[in-house]
Amino acid sequence: MNSQVTVTESEVLEMLASAFEEPVSELRREVTKDDVPGWDSMGALALMAAFDEKLGLELTAAEFREMQKVGDVLDFLQQRGALVNAAHP
Amino acid sequence: MSFTRTPGMRLAGVSTCVPARVVDNNACAEVYGETEVRKVVSMAGVQYRPVTDPGVTATDLCFEAAERLLRELAWAPDTLDAIVLVTQSPDYFLPSSSCMIHKWLGLSEHCAALDVGLGCSGYPYGLSLAGSMLLAGCRRILLLQGDTPTQFVSAGDHATTLLFSDAGSATALERQDDAPESFHALCTDGTGYRGLIIPGGGFRDRNPVNPRDRELHMDGGAIFNFTVKRVPEIIGASLQFAGLGQDAIDYFIFHQSNRFIMKHIAKKCGLAAERVPLILDRFGNCGGTSVPLTLTQSVPAQRQGDLRLLCVGYGVGLSWGASVLSLDSQAPLLHQTYSGEVTRQ
Repeated sequence: MNSQVTVTESEVLEMLASAFEEPVSELRREVTKDDVPGWDSMGALALMAAFDEKLGLELTAAEFREMQKVGDVLDFLQQRGALVNAAHP
Repeated sequence: MSFTRTPGMRLAGVSTCVPARVVDNNACAEVYGETEVRKVVSMAGVQYRPVTDPGVTATDLCFEAAERLLRELAWAPDTLDAIVLVTQSPDYFLPSSSCMIHKWLGLSEHCAALDVGLGCSGYPYGLSLAGSMLLAGCRRILLLQGDTPTQFVSAGDHATTLLFSDAGSATALERQDDAPESFHALCTDGTGYRGLIIPGGGFRDRNPVNPRDRELHMDGGAIFNFTVKRVPEIIGASLQFAGLGQDAIDYFIFHQSNRFIMKHIAKKCGLAAERVPLILDRFGNCGGTSVPLTLTQSVPAQRQGDLRLLCVGYGVGLSWGASVLSLDSQAPLLHQTYSGEVTRQ
């Protein structure tokens, strides 16, 4: 199901920073989950909750496991119609 | 959704029993690391966890809760028509643990005893089952629920070890024709049965090659997805079935799964925080028994007039249920720590 709410890339990075307890300045498209200590099972719950609350979007456990880097999260949101002005380098 | 209504079921009292030994999660930092412990404490909301000593079981905890409740109510053992024990931590594969409690309480041969193998959703299921038995002719029933998850988590898995605790409970239910009607909604999604599972040790895999398979495996993300989708639905559906609005409920008694998840659900449902009690900080997640435990911890023992409760359980199965019921001012709410010294018949 697509989201009825849209966010910008910088807003998504803020959501990731909050969920993973990571400075937002450290988060860019190419950053992998191995570079982010908080990208773990609890970070997953926090991100799922944020997507549910702010975007009305379900991020399943399986979808989260597939995500290997920050760019995958942004692509996921773009596919669901939740991301505006995604700036692909 | 399976809906049942049970007119004439009075909630006569609730009693809970937790182990005397309490583990402070902050003291586990040496084993699991300070960061991991801090995250669990801040997210799941669990600071202290009552944990059974080796050799003490859910049956023992339920027995002491039941013995005290019967004494308080002055219910003679031969007036009970049934005991229903909801547990996934039985003493043995067979016999049913309820038969042992039947003996220890000195109950009559005319009293039915059965186990129900449900976990986090078990309290609403037990209330619905007991209500149907009362409707069918029973006069007094003890609904027992107890589990000892600390005995089946993997010590190496901090996400579950730092979350779970142990508890037992007894709920007295009796037939009283003018008691307010109770409403129950029950659901199952068996496709998610692997989300919370002990895969080995049962008859599907009696002697698992990997000893870890004798312990709990939890897919936290899948459980989260399930919970945030299904719990708001069942709260809404059970209120609609009962013909009530949210404002008619004094307390929403949630299974104490995880503070973060509970707060998310409460916010999603628009429930005021003061009507959704949280006891995770002192008691952890003791499985479905957390529902009666939250009742004895959060609803005042001295009350004026009737209270209306919505009890909701959700988890392993996947299974979830909700009960809307009344609690009158005379029904005792009791709590104690396990002594191991109560005389058994």
